[in-house]
Amino acid sequence: MSDSLSRRSFLSLAGGTAVALAGLGLVGCGGSSSSDSSSDSASSDSTAKSLSGTVNCSGATSFQPLVEAAAKKFEDENPDVTIAITGGGSGQGLSDVRDGKAQIGRSDVFAEEKLDASDAKALTDNTVCVVGMGPIVNSNVDVDDLTTDQLKGIFTGQITDWSEVGGTAGKIQVIERKAGSGTRATFEAAVLGGESAPADFAPVAEEDSSGTVVEKIQQTEGAISYLAFSYFDDTKFKALKVDGVEANADNVCNGTFKIWAYEHMYTKDADEVTQAFIDYMMSDEVQGSMVEEQGFIPAGDMKVKKDASGTITNA
Amino acid sequence: MAKRLMPKKQLEGVGLTLTGACVLLVALVVIALIFMVAQQGLSAFFVDGINFISFITGTSWVPSDGVYGALPLIVTSFGVMLLATLFTLPIALGSAIFVVEVQPGFGRRIFQPLVELLMGIPSVVYGLIGLTVVNAAMRAIFGEAAGTGAGILSGGIVLAVMILPTVTTLSIDGLAAVPNEYREGSYALGCTRWQTVWHVVLKSAMPSLMTAVILGMTRAFGEALAVQMVIGGVEKVMPAGLLSPAATLTTALTSGFSNATTGSVQYHALWALGLLLMAMSLIFILIIHLIGAKGAKNRG
Amino acid sequence: MASETTAKQVGNDLGVDLDAHVKRIGRQDRVATGILTVIVAFVLLLLASIVAFILVKGLGKALSPGFLTTSPLADENPGISSEIFDSFYMLIITLLISVPISLGAAIFLVEYAPDNWVTKAASTAIETLSSLPSIVVGMFGSLFFVVTLGWGISIIAGAMALTMFNIPILVRVIQQALQDVPRSQRDAALAMGLTRWEATRHVLLPAAMPAIVTGIVISAGRVFGEAAALIFTSGSAAVNINFASANLSSPRNPWTIFRPAETLAVHIWKLKMEPTPGNDEIVWGTAAVLIICVLLFNILARVLGKALAKKMTSE
Repeated sequence: MSDSLSRRSFLSLAGGTAVALAGLGLVGCGGSSSSDSSSDSASSDSTAKSLSGTVNCSGATSFQPLVEAAAKKFEDENPDVTIAITGGGSGQGLSDVRDGKAQIGRSDVFAEEKLDASDAKALTDNTVCVVGMGPIVNSNVDVDDLTTDQLKGIFTGQITDWSEVGGTAGKIQVIERKAGSGTRATFEAAVLGGESAPADFAPVAEEDSSGTVVEKIQQTEGAISYLAFSYFDDTKFKALKVDGVEANADNVCNGTFKIWAYEHMYTKDADEVTQAFIDYMMSDEVQGSMVEEQGFIPAGDMKVKKDASGTITNA
Repeated sequence: MAKRLMPKKQLEGVGLTLTGACVLLVALVVIALIFMVAQQGLSAFFVDGINFISFITGTSWVPSDGVYGALPLIVTSFGVMLLATLFTLPIALGSAIFVVEVQPGFGRRIFQPLVELLMGIPSVVYGLIGLTVVNAAMRAIFGEAAGTGAGILSGGIVLAVMILPTVTTLSIDGLAAVPNEYREGSYALGCTRWQTVWHVVLKSAMPSLMTAVILGMTRAFGEALAVQMVIGGVEKVMPAGLLSPAATLTTALTSGFSNATTGSVQYHALWALGLLLMAMSLIFILIIHLIGAKGAKNRG
Repeated sequence: MASETTAKQVGNDLGVDLDAHVKRIGRQDRVATGILTVIVAFVLLLLASIVAFILVKGLGKALSPGFLTTSPLADENPGISSEIFDSFYMLIITLLISVPISLGAAIFLVEYAPDNWVTKAASTAIETLSSLPSIVVGMFGSLFFVVTLGWGISIIAGAMALTMFNIPILVRVIQQALQDVPRSQRDAALAMGLTRWEATRHVLLPAAMPAIVTGIVISAGRVFGEAAALIFTSGSAAVNINFASANLSSPRNPWTIFRPAETLAVHIWKLKMEPTPGNDEIVWGTAAVLIICVLLFNILARVLGKALAKKMTSE
């Protein structure tokens, strides 16, 4: 009990010791923006003296490794700051930040899709990076390229055999993600174009994690699913081209590859420390190398952008 | 030795208060749990206006689209539980008979501790093995029909292994509790060991064996992570057969919570599933009590 | 021989072929014994192959240098040091809470319990607790401990959820141990004019201690591997623990009970769900470590129980 009290008072203390941040100038810097790394490290040096407090960050697990890696660096530079990262999924992250239980809520969908309009409006959207997703198949499938229409046919149950799309005859085993998951929402928006699979079409599995998808796609003859680029692994399965376009970061950036989504870190009236961490996430230190190392695409590299309703425009 | 100076009566009072407080605390926590689960779960029906009948008879569960029909989950939960019991029962009972009647020395000193070890293996590890071994075996045996290998049968097999130690050890206890006079009487009549076991021991141990099975079923019904890894997770249609990928009440909960925002209809609907789970385990307890009462009556 | 002749005579008298009957039931008996032996062999084989499978897949990684001592957040060759610490720390806190309560409750039920509805209700409550699915306990914990009591996703919330599992197991074990103390010892103590409380403390508890200790350690093994209830209560993200931290209110201080934590079992779950390359090895390595810990708990329980029993009888 007393521990929790002291933590509370500690928090408010941290909020009280408000010091102007040298690093605030970094807000909104994309990967291609001007600030160089030397000014970055200078800013973190100066924040090291002043910043203290705890930031709770919960939500989507898809880019949790990226946030964990960034948080560790940030903590190393600011010994009095703690970024407490928990999972729970996008829904959890959004409700936590809405209810003030977490300072940052991670989500792989727009807040508007999960929360009431008024609640969503109160949140600040920080799109830290972009994740590309592509269709993947079992390594033994001898198809390398599918059109969007073919993909649509497969994922709505109209195309059921590989011979119908130019491969060796064999049943297509569709592995879906759980309805409601961000990955599935993104894939369906891009591939099914707003339509949804007929109610009586049952895939052979509806997995709720990328992990089980990888495991099953690897083992199952004729299986097809979709996965974020960050999990692509040539040794385990094969990534397909869509309409002849290879699933990679460059094609997502220039707008030719359509299946991608933002990774959001929502905040609500961010305090000093929270904002400093968000700024750090947007800084060159993270955007320059870490984002790509983890298999994501820096938001600043994008030549196109998407809004909450899924409309794509040139940036 | 200050306590020595305390009057006996007062000391007794201290003991009673201290231990009574512990019991009270546990009881309060249980009441709080039942109350909170019921409150959250019932608000799906009374606040959000989901129709209870269509909730438990609806054949499609797509919470993200506002479709709440929990029947596929309920059917799957019972399906995997019964399958697991079916697989486990002969093995558990056989081992228990072996331990108590055939080789008590080896059974008690070596076999039983080893089986209890099986009980300690964490459920995620069972899930991990199921994902790599059981699913692959399903595909190898049934080919294309098994899809990814994930399905009700895989879930039943993994659960069978998980509840095996529980059912075995409880059965051993049940058989060992049969008074030796019964056996001696039977042997004196010239019966063989098998006749004794079949006609005398099993019959008089029946209530405790049933309790063992039901406790095993309770565990199978409530297991979440291990099943989730091997069952395939298809919630939107009724399972068509043993090889169909499906989802249980528990797996719908673990996967659903990550996509639901607190306070939403979807969130309450998930709690309603939790309420169903809780109600089922209360019913299991009730059955055990009834068996116990009947057993006591039979013994006179 | 004598009995066979008798059987034959009796058989002849009754006009049935008892010889054949005796042969038949003899054969039946041998077949039954044979089947039972096969079943037992099967169970042993199953156990051996499960343990062997995990060890073969994971022991190499588990024993690789640094795996046990490196942080999971390390850039290269991440290990499981925080998970090991968190698992044991959470276990100890769980035991600190659950053992005294279970001890009190068991003593009440064995020694004091008046034969009325209060007692009946209490033992039914404990029984109910033991049959609740862990996921329901986790949900309750995430609402009550995490939100209502405001503890947040934390070690203490996780430990409380584990306590709820542990209490019914422990109460049953302790109850059994107390009941197994010979009646004569209890009667002698009461006859000497000791109160029930004194008799319990000075006579019954010491006599039951070996069985109690064994029970506690075995239950510890069960608690150690629980994951479902912890995902919602203590979180699924490793904390960047700072062992040098002296600030008890900082979530990076290893000893703070108000920080999120990730146990070995949860770690397996999380990594399996998010298939970053290289995870597979870590997953199996962690599983091997977990299995070895559980084995050690079992051995420890038996050794400790035996040693205590020996010490008591020699005194």
